[in-house]
Order: sequence, then structure tokens, then C-alpha cells
Amino acid sequence: MKQQIYRFILFFVSFIFSVNAYSQTTISGTVVDKNTKEPVIGASIHVKSASEGAITDHNGHFEFKTKQSFPLSLTIRFIGYKTQEIDLYENQPVEIGLSENVNFLDEVVVTALGISREKKSLGYATQNIKGDELNGNTSTNIVNALAGKAAGVRITNGSGDIGGSRIIIRGETSIAGNNQPLFVVDGIPVDNSQLNVGDQYRDFRNAVADLNPDDIETLNILKGPNAAALYGSRAAHGVVLITTKKGTVQKGLGINVTAGVSFANIVNLAKYQNEFGQGTEGEFSFVDGKGGGVNDGYDESWGPRLDGRLIPQFDSPIVDGVRQATPWVAHPNNVKDFFETGVTQDYGISIANAGDKYSYRLGTHYQDQTGTAPNTQIKKTNVSYSGDYELTKRIKVGANVNYIVTDAPNIPGTSNGSASSLRANNIMLQFLWFGRQVDTQSLKEGQTVNRNWNANYYDNPYWQQFYNTTEQKRNRIIGDVHFSVNLAEGLDFRFRTSTDYYNDKRKSKFRTGSSGAGRPDGSYSEDAYIVSEDNTEAILNYTRKFSDDWSLDALIGYNVRNNRYENNFQNASKLAAPDLYTVSNSKDPLVSTNLLRRSRVYSDYASAQIGFRSWAFLNLTGRNDISSTLPSANRSYFYPSATASVILSDALDIKNNVLSFLKLRGGWSEVGSDADPYQLATVYNLGSPFNGNPIQTSSTTKNNADLKPERTQSTEFGAEAGFLNNRIVLDLALYNTNSIDQIIGLQTSPASGYSSQLVNAGKINNKGIEVQLRTTPVKTKDFSWGLDLNYAANRSKVVELDKEGLLTRYVIGTAGPQIVAAVGERYGAIFGTAWKRNANGDILVGDNGRPLRDPSNKTLGYFTPDWTGGITNTFTYKNLSLSALIDAGIGGSIYSSSASTGVMAGVYEQSLSGRSAEFGGLTWTDANGKVRDDGVIFQGVNENTGQPNNVIISAETYHGQSAHEKYVYDASYVKLRDISLTYTFKKSVIQKWGIGGLSVSAVAHNVAILYRDKNLDADPETALNTGNVQGVTGLARPSARSFGLNVNLKF
Amino acid sequence: MKKYITLFIVTAVLTTACSESLDDINKNPNATEIPDPAYLLTGVEKNGADLYWGNSADYGGTLLFVQHWAAIQYPDADKYDITNTAGIVTTPWNTGYTTLITNLNGILALNDDIANANYKAVALTLRSWVFLLLTDLYGDIPYSEVGKSVVPKYDTQKDVYVGLLADLTQATTQLAAANGAVKGDVIYGGDVAKWKKFANSLKLRIALRIADKEDALAKQTIAALNVPDLIGSNAETVKVVYSTSPYNNPQQDHFVSRNDYRISKTIVDKLKALSDPRLPVYAQLPKDTESASDYAGGANGLYAADAMSQGLDKISLPGTYFLTPTAPAVIYSYAEALFNLSEAAARGYISGSAETYYKQAITASFNQFGITDATVIADYLAQPTVAYNAANYKQSIGEQKWIAFFGQGLDAFAEWRRLDYPQLVAGPASVLEGKIPTRVFYPGTEQSLNGKSYKAAVANQGPDLLTTKLWFDAY
Repeated sequence: MKQQIYRFILFFVSFIFSVNAYSQTTISGTVVDKNTKEPVIGASIHVKSASEGAITDHNGHFEFKTKQSFPLSLTIRFIGYKTQEIDLYENQPVEIGLSENVNFLDEVVVTALGISREKKSLGYATQNIKGDELNGNTSTNIVNALAGKAAGVRITNGSGDIGGSRIIIRGETSIAGNNQPLFVVDGIPVDNSQLNVGDQYRDFRNAVADLNPDDIETLNILKGPNAAALYGSRAAHGVVLITTKKGTVQKGLGINVTAGVSFANIVNLAKYQNEFGQGTEGEFSFVDGKGGGVNDGYDESWGPRLDGRLIPQFDSPIVDGVRQATPWVAHPNNVKDFFETGVTQDYGISIANAGDKYSYRLGTHYQDQTGTAPNTQIKKTNVSYSGDYELTKRIKVGANVNYIVTDAPNIPGTSNGSASSLRANNIMLQFLWFGRQVDTQSLKEGQTVNRNWNANYYDNPYWQQFYNTTEQKRNRIIGDVHFSVNLAEGLDFRFRTSTDYYNDKRKSKFRTGSSGAGRPDGSYSEDAYIVSEDNTEAILNYTRKFSDDWSLDALIGYNVRNNRYENNFQNASKLAAPDLYTVSNSKDPLVSTNLLRRSRVYSDYASAQIGFRSWAFLNLTGRNDISSTLPSANRSYFYPSATASVILSDALDIKNNVLSFLKLRGGWSEVGSDADPYQLATVYNLGSPFNGNPIQTSSTTKNNADLKPERTQSTEFGAEAGFLNNRIVLDLALYNTNSIDQIIGLQTSPASGYSSQLVNAGKINNKGIEVQLRTTPVKTKDFSWGLDLNYAANRSKVVELDKEGLLTRYVIGTAGPQIVAAVGERYGAIFGTAWKRNANGDILVGDNGRPLRDPSNKTLGYFTPDWTGGITNTFTYKNLSLSALIDAGIGGSIYSSSASTGVMAGVYEQSLSGRSAEFGGLTWTDANGKVRDDGVIFQGVNENTGQPNNVIISAETYHGQSAHEKYVYDASYVKLRDISLTYTFKKSVIQKWGIGGLSVSAVAHNVAILYRDKNLDADPETALNTGNVQGVTGLARPSARSFGLNVNLKF
Repeated sequence: MKKYITLFIVTAVLTTACSESLDDINKNPNATEIPDPAYLLTGVEKNGADLYWGNSADYGGTLLFVQHWAAIQYPDADKYDITNTAGIVTTPWNTGYTTLITNLNGILALNDDIANANYKAVALTLRSWVFLLLTDLYGDIPYSEVGKSVVPKYDTQKDVYVGLLADLTQATTQLAAANGAVKGDVIYGGDVAKWKKFANSLKLRIALRIADKEDALAKQTIAALNVPDLIGSNAETVKVVYSTSPYNNPQQDHFVSRNDYRISKTIVDKLKALSDPRLPVYAQLPKDTESASDYAGGANGLYAADAMSQGLDKISLPGTYFLTPTAPAVIYSYAEALFNLSEAAARGYISGSAETYYKQAITASFNQFGITDATVIADYLAQPTVAYNAANYKQSIGEQKWIAFFGQGLDAFAEWRRLDYPQLVAGPASVLEGKIPTRVFYPGTEQSLNGKSYKAAVANQGPDLLTTKLWFDAY
């Protein structure tokens, strides 16, 4: 036995020695920047077609052993530099000079499933945005930071402040479903929902705003199915691939410290009139704000002239029980004064390093943002870790963890929702129905006692902001564990299991005494969500260069995805004991609902890239999904893609001083998409029992047991060209996307029995063009000017809604006018009431002098712009760099429900015309025989006589006449979006201070709107929420302009 | 190499091996696919009462048209200044079809072993009631193709009424104690005999609705009814009695958070003129102490400013009888059954004295509101202003029925249009050139969702306006 062990050990030792003895050669050298001769830290050096290699240390030095014999070729890669190959013929230390990557075709980009590919080999458009371009932006939502930077990417938001934003790539491809792209961080799909805005009337942030821009290395936008086919179901709307920073070899300690502060102020406030105060028919006197006085229940400004006359007001002193009359004067800035300067503070520290066998980065970031609305705030803490370890030469393991805590003591109100009783959560409501004489300071003083200018409908706005709050706490973990095994030369096995899990809890309070909100008892609700997505994937990857001509990069993979969504809502609608916020403190039976949704998808996929002489590439992909949400017969579905690229300049060898390179690309792809869970059977919902009798009602949506997967097919062509030594680089893309068999809850006449019926129908087409131009008009030793342009135009067309052609319009939503998808029209038509007109287009007026509305609704515009574009100018002089982004969206329309109200309520400046002789009012005698000077004649033609209307009506009546048509505006805008000025200290200077790097930057976001429709009372980019009902603004909080200062310090 | 492929496959299999079937995952854990007829019935009765007694259809619309209530704030509907997206237009249609009729059809579609013949007869009765509300309000409506087509055709109003009479005949035939128990019935507690009375009484209501147009059919229908088969006492009144929060009476619920309505001056003045003891039941004294000595109604159809300037506290709220959380939603009262008999007698459809039924009807209404003192009732009936006028039964019945219907806006609106009494006057700020609506628009969504059928209906019935007269409204 002993002998056997001895023999074994001997055998083992000799084996090891024999391996070691096998002709090992040590290769060493340094990698430097060709121009500056500074060492390049963290560059990777690999022996071609083998797994041996190393990473340069902080001196740019590398050293490793190889079994290969000379001559051998090395590949040297480093981000931002051209990948270089050198051949070694003998064993001598080498110095390798890398040149900066000017030719962006040589860029290595991350593509679907995290696969790195040379950009030139791709058959579709892709756009990279570097982390630095997002960093130092004062917007706290990563989605907002993308505005204007990428062709074909459209961002809208509730406001520029705390809140949710919507991102759309290449137009809406789904008639009814989510149209936002999938976000993937380091291979982990992450959720970007904006849960339950509607019911709470609060502007919760979209979930991807959890990410910390400081952690981002690059952000790559895969613009459509062609680029994203491998992601399957969710690729139809594009994918935003985010690669976070990883540990790299460091010269110093690898510590990076950032600090920033920014200040936000409101802009784009509506124009108010300051001539007339609260009331109606020119009369007002305050007693209780509920109609007890003269028109004091009125929340409109058709009251007396603001001329200093004495009138009892809500803030007038009460002497011996009598409210004294006080001067009736305007407070022109009363809305503006309510808002504050929002302050955002950012602090981050990270440590990163790498060695022969390991790399890691550990970072933490804290952000504290207070909103422009009083007492609104979001605090966010991120802790992120990423690490990789080389277990053996062949096996690598690693993990990423990102833990995010969002803690918002109070979320601002939003523009739109379904529960009208919570509408007043949006502070803008009472500023729209307002008394223009109200003094904001008096409101502030009345906070604790809920003293308000109107007690019928509103609580004191400060009471509302400080006591009627919705807090949000979200704990989220995004992470994975992964390993890879190099099975043989060129053959790798990769495995990853990942999760994105969060719980999100909102607590909404109404303080006892909130009678304005219709909650005199106060109320309390808790709304809790648990959302998760787990993915487990295994991939076998094979890379081989068969000859000088042919190369292959192929993979097969398997993925299981589990999604889970849980909601639990509890509402104590009337508090029993005042100001005690627990769900059991309820006068009424507790209202409680819960919801669970689960789904699972199994996927098999494969892809191959075949390269020919490094100038022609064919990319093929195929994926088969099996989804739990579809009926078993249709559950499994396959979809392929094929794209190709040819570097013509290499193929035909036509490089010259004018044309640096030319690439053509094109392809076709299809992606399939499943349904939401539980859409196969129509269900009956249970309501709380009535006198002990359970209540059951049928869902008003008729589900469909025969659902098929949706399909989106896309054809794309493009060209990339570089001119004048790549001083001008052009990227052009043309695409045509058809989405068919869409799963739509087609709205049907309620008389059909259901208000909607789920069908596979609907076809929507999107065609578009995208242009990206990168130029460097000036480049000298000290000074350079970079000018980047992007342009995109997308045209959508709703081709069909149902197979029978019976339905002509799908109502996406109603917000004043309907937002519809109408057959034969662009997606997102604003469909609403219009004036009745004669053949000449004159508005018809009734005998009573009021305009008539056409009984049929009309298409009044489309929310989608004709084109969007952006121009970034970057000037660099020595260590100083200045960058400015101007972007535009031209065309498209927006309906303002606020304007409709603001004019009708006599609050907006527009409502001044005709209000007295001074403002052009005509003298007339009303029905009561009173002679007045506020007469107006509506310009139009009498319906019966055909003669011009000559009936005088009061200005109040005149401005109250409305049709949606009247408040539809041009949504075009040109904005100076971002300016940043950065100074990077010279290394030679700061090294004396013991610092590895120091930069200071001043940034501004949403600087100015250079062009917009002057009559529109809001930022044209505002939206009600992140859903598909766009092109409507209402009660939008004024957008925010922010200025900030950031410091970045490296040790 | 081979073993790595094996490893790969094993991994792939491992990740799925523990799985439950995809069908299980997609089984909805939040709601059931199998309905219970009792639960559906409770839902329909409760939601139907909410519609009939609630904001959009009742006090935000028809109750203003018939001048039972008046708007003291936000008088748009009171001025008839409404569009085809207003609540009075969309809510009855949407709720009527999707919440009520679909669930009733759900009961009708169940297997007989789950929902017995009585459930189905009850469902058919309630469905007839809902269809009746809809056709009374809109005119031609989808009826025969409801639930059968995505774009159902509109049946003419006449066809709807005739169809409903047949449906109710079927219901009455089916209703029998032997056919099984009905649970979840919050109207009659499953009393099949009472349901039969409701179904018969609905036939009576419908027959009179068409009497001016289809005299023979009306007569034939009513002649076939026996008085004992109709609602025969206040105990048999069709009503849903509301309960604790959140199931409070919708009319009182309004005043918890809002304050937009008052009792109308029209009905207050009428009750005063008749020294009607129902006035203190229908109205509260104004809050303002100075005017609190007398009831005061709000005028209908004023400009917002004028409406408001009447003074929130100077005008009477509807009575506490109506504004208590547990106040009943009356759907078909005993008084109405008697008024209907009175008219049937006046028209010569049945034997018996129209005047006697008329007096019984008023007495039943008094009793319904808790006035039982025989002397008080007799004194009231003895007034010449109350006495039955055989020369113009439409006036006598019309006015008294209108008073008895207080709160039941939809039926008061239908009967006011048919009987043309009381003679109401549109408010000064109303926008229909002095007219009062005689129907409501079809919901705007019908134009886009069911355009062809909509156009055909408009072609048949007349323009889609508030003032278009419906088929039944002959005079």
C-alpha cells in the first residue's frame, strides 16, 4: 500500500516536471503609447491562437511564459487603442507602441450576449457612448443623460427633476405593448419599469435610474432586431448594453474619488396673468373658501381687478371675529416662489486593481437629490463589486454585485393617473386653478393649520407637500456568478447565473384634516412590490482562424429566464385615530389586493461569424424560445437573422488620402416575442364581499386561448466611411421594420361584451434613416475641435389592426383627446374634438355666439417628431476641454390640457384678452341688463345665417369655449442640452501633491430651449408618464435647469 | 472534448430539471376562470344599483335633466353642455354592457348543474332591466348581437323593447321554486316568487313605454298580466340596500368628498305648492341659519357663477333619507307599479279604476318614505291640485310619478319624455336653445370602434344629438 502511494507520488511529480520541462519560453516587454511614450497600463498581450498571455503592469511591463515556439505572433489590445499584432522571431524584450484608435472601425464593441466584436465585422448600426460622456452630467437619471447623444433615440420625461423618463429607439414598434428597450448590464438583463404611477399620481423613477453612471465604462445602443436578435423576445425595441468598469492594472493605489454638487432651478413656467384675482363675474370675498363668501369656493381667476382695492382674503387678519379687508394685489411670482432650488450631491469612491490572475473593482456611490418642489427628495446608495479570478490557466471565475438602496422620503406628484381623487397629489393642479392674488408667503405660514386660499378642493400646498407624502424605499440587488473554461484551443465554455431582484415599498399618507383632498379623516396606504428576473445561461464558444483567408467565431447557448412580479396593496382609506399611519388604524374595512405574475422562457440559440480576409463578414444567428405565456401549441418559436459587412476599402484596396475606409453592411432579421402572463383565459375577479356576499365580475378584457408569438422583421442597410484620414467619419443606416401578429388588447365596443379583446393582429411599419457624423475640423498639437452630428428620421405607419379590417383605430389612451393608432396613419395620433367648420374653413357659431364643436372627432396631430438630431461641439485646448450639445426634435404635436384649463380658469395670460375695455373688451349689456365692458365676439360664421358672428359674449364665456384642437401645439424644439467645461491637471503638476489624477468640471444640463412654440405652456418634451400615451402635457411640473461642479481625484 | 459537451448538456438539463410545467406557471394565481353564479349575481346587483343610483347616469346626468337635483357647482351637465365623452354618455354604456350584461350572460352560459334555471331566469330579468335602461337613454342599441360580434349591429328601439318582452316571458316561465335555490341575491334574498313579480312588473313598464307607438302589443302584454303577479307591496320593492363603507349609498358618498349638488328648485317649489309632506324627506333645511326656516331649491341650468352665488349654505341638500350611507337604491317601487296600473286602466288596457290605482300609488309612495298617517294622506289626496284628472291622465300620473321617482333619474327621465309632464323649463344658461335633452349621445368611442353600426343607427334614428327624439317618445 505504502509502495503504491509512493509510486503514485513519484508518477505525479515526474508528470509535473515533465510538463514543466516542456520547452517553456519567457516573453517580456513593455507597451507604450506611440505618441506620448507613456506606458500603457492594463493592456492585454496574448499569443495568438493560444490562451497564454499577460496584462501590463503599472510600468507598462509584461512577462509571461509560453510553450509555443518561435516565430509567434502576439495580439495587443487596449481600449481606445488600435489592436496590434506583432510577430516575434526571437526571444528578446520588445517595446510595443500602440497608436490611439482614430479609425473607429477598429474599435472593439460589445454586442449581444456580451460578445466583443470588431466594429467593422458588424452588419448593423451600433452606437457607443463612453462612460465619461454620461458622467459629470447633472441629470440623476441615466436615461436623461442619453438625450440628444445618439441617432434615433428619443427621451421624454415628466419633468427634468426627480421622476421617470421614457426612452424609445427607432420609433414605436409595438402598438399596445412596452416600446422601451431592454437594458443589460454586464450580461444581466435589468428591469426598467415605472411601477404604478397611475394609481398614486406620483412620479416614481424608472427602475434603471438606479444605476450609477460612475460605474459605467461604455454604453452601447443596439438599435433594433438586427443588432439584438440574440436577445430574443425583448430585442424588438432595441437593447441598451451597459458595460461597467472593471479592475485594471493601476499605477497608483487605484483609488478614484468623485464629488459633485449641482443646483436645479425651474424653467418653462407658464405665463400667468396678473390683472384679475380669484372669483367669477368680477366678484369675490373670502369667508371659508368653500362658497361661504362671495365666490370664494371658486378656484378660478375671473374675479375683481387686482387694483389694490380692499377685499377680505384667506390671509386677512380676523379682528373680533370679522375678517378684515386687505389690499387686493397681484403676486406675479406666486407659483415660481413656491419652488425651491433643488440640490444634488454626489460622492463616490472606488478602488480598482488587477494583477496576473485577478482583477477587481469595488465602488460605492451616494447621491442625495432634493427636488424643486418643496420636501421632495431621493437618496440613493450604490455599492458595486466586480471581480474576476484566474483559477487555473483554463478556468476563470468571477462575480458582479450591485446593491442599490433608494430611499425617497417624498416623491413629487405627477401629471396623470387613473384615480382622480389623487389628482391633487400633483401640486400643479392648484396652481392651474388658482387665485392670482394669492401670496405664497401666506401659504407657507398656513402650512401647519391647512389654511388655504380654497378649501373646497385643495389643501394648503405646503401642508400637502410636507404631510401628504408618498415615500419610496427600494432595495435592489443586481448580480451574477460566472465562470469560463477554456476547453481546447479556441473552444470556451461559459456559464453565468444572474439575478435582478428588488423590493419596492411605497407608503402614502394623508394627514387627518386633509379635507381639500377629500380625506378629512386622513388615510394611509402601503404598496409593496417584489420584482425579480433570474437568468441562467451556458454558452459554448468556438473561435478559429482556419487560414489567412477564413475565420470562424461561433457559439451555441442555452438560457432559462424566470420573471416574477408581486404586488401587495393595503389601504386604510379613513384613519380611525388621527395621524397614526398604520394599515390597521382604519375606520373602514381595510382594502387589500395582491397580485402575482410569473413567467419562464427556455431558449436555445446559436450564432456564427464567418470572416474572409478580415474584410468580409457574414453573421448568422438563430434562437428558439419556449415561453410559458403562450399556449402549448404555439409556445416554441424560432427566429433567425443574417447580416453581412464588407470593408470595400480593404477589399478593393482603394485607400487614399481622401477616402480612409469604406464599409457597406446589411441584413435581415426576425425576432419573436411572447405574451404577458395569464392572457390565455378570461378570468373573473373577486371583489370584497357585499354584506357577506362575495362579488365576482368578469374581466372586461376577453383573453385568447390561441395566442401566437408576435414577430418583428427588420431589414437594415448601412454604410460607414472615413475621409481625410478619418477626420470625417460617416455612418449611415436605413431600416425597415415590420411588426406583425401583435398581441393587442384591441379596444372593442363595450357592446361586444368586453371593452377589449386580445388578438394576434395588427401590423405596424417603421422606416427610417439615421446619420452619424464625426468630424475633427481642427486638430493641432494643443487645440482640437470635434464636431459630432446625429440625425434620425423615423416614419411609422399602422398598417392593420384586425385581420377583418373592421377596426380603424386602437385607442392607446385618453388624456383629454385620445391618443390612437389609426390604420393608415402614423403611430400616436392625437384624436379629439375640433371646431365645426364650413367649406371655407370658418368656424361655425351658434345663435348664442358660441362656437360649435364638430360631432366627429378629428386627427389633430401626431406625437412622433419628423426628425431628431443633435450636434456636439468639443473644444480641447491643452488640458481644458469644453463640450456643448444642442439637440432638436422637429415636427410632431402636443396637446396641453393645462393650457385648456389655465385659459378657461382665467389664470393664464392668454385669458386676458377682452376682460375689460383696457384689454379690448367690448361694451355690451348682459341678460340681467347689466352694462359691461368685457364683451368678445367669437370669430366665426353663424351656423344658420352664414353671416359673420356678431353676438357678444363675456370674456369669461369666450375663454371657456374649447375644443381639443385649440390647445394642440407644435412640439418642435431646439435645446441647448448640455455644456461641460473640464480642466484636467497636468500629471507633472499634481504628482508633486501625491495625486495620480485630478480633473474639475463645471456642467450644465437643460441649459436653454432655443426654439419652441411660444404658446405652449410647458417643455415640449414633457410627457404624462413612460407609457405609450405621449403627445399630451398636463399639470407638468416645470422642467429643471441644473448647474453643477464635479471633482474627480485619482490616487 | 466529448466530456465537455456532456458537461454542457448536463448543465443545461440541470437548470431545467427542477422545473414545474410551463402550463402550471401560466395558471393565473390572481383570479379564477370558473365563475360562481351567486358571486356574479351579487356583483351585477350591486354594480347595477351603483350605476342606477350613482354619479354619471343618475345625479350627474338624468337627475339634473328631470330637475330633481340641480348643480350648484360645475353646472356643465346641468346646462346640457356635454360632449360624447361625458360620464352620463359613457358610463351607462360601458358599465351596462361590460360589467352588467356580460356577467349576466356569464350566468346564462353556465351549465345547468352550476347555474339552475332560476339563476338563469333571474339573470334574464336583470339583463332585461339593463337593456331597458340603455335603450331608454340612447335609443337604438346593440341587443341581439351583444357578446356575439366584435362590431355588433344596433337593433332598433322597437325591436329591443319587443325582444325584452319575449325575454321576460321566458324568465317568468322559468321561475319556479322547484327549479332550485338562488344565492347571492342581495335584492330579494333568493325569493323566486318575488323575482317573478319583478319580471312581470318590468313587462308592465316596457308595455307602457311602447304604448304610444304599439298600442295593440302594449294592450295584449298588459292584459296578459295579473295584478297579483306584480310588485304588490312596499316590501316587494326592487331595491339594493347599501351597507357599511366602502359599500355606501353612492348619492351620499358624493357629499363625503364633494359638494356639487343641491335639490332642484323645480321639485321643491312643486312640493311646496302641493303642501307635500314628502318635502322634509326629500330635502334638508339649508345650513345657513338665516334661511334655515324654509326649504330652498337650487335653480337648474345656471351659469357657474350664478349657480354658486345662490350660496352653498342657503340652498337645501337632498334629504337625509337619501344621504345616509345605508340608504337604499330603489330600482322598481311599489308606487311605480301602481302608477303603471293606473295608466293601463286609463288607457283601457285593464279593467279597474285609474283613479283608485292613482291614489294607491301616491299612498304607496308616502309609505315608502315613511309617511303613514292616514289623515295626512287623505288630506293630501283631497287637494284639487292632486286629484286625478281623467281628462288628462298623463298630467296627473306624469307629475305624481315624477315626484315619486325622486332620486331615480333614469326612469324619471324616460317617463317625463313619454308622459310630457311635468312641463319642465330649461335653465337660462342651458345650451340647447331652450330644449331639454331627450336622449344622450352614443359614446364617442363607438364612432371609432363600431363605426359602421353606429352610422347605420344614426341613419335610422336621426342625428346623434341630445335633442333627437327617440322612437318611444311619440309626443
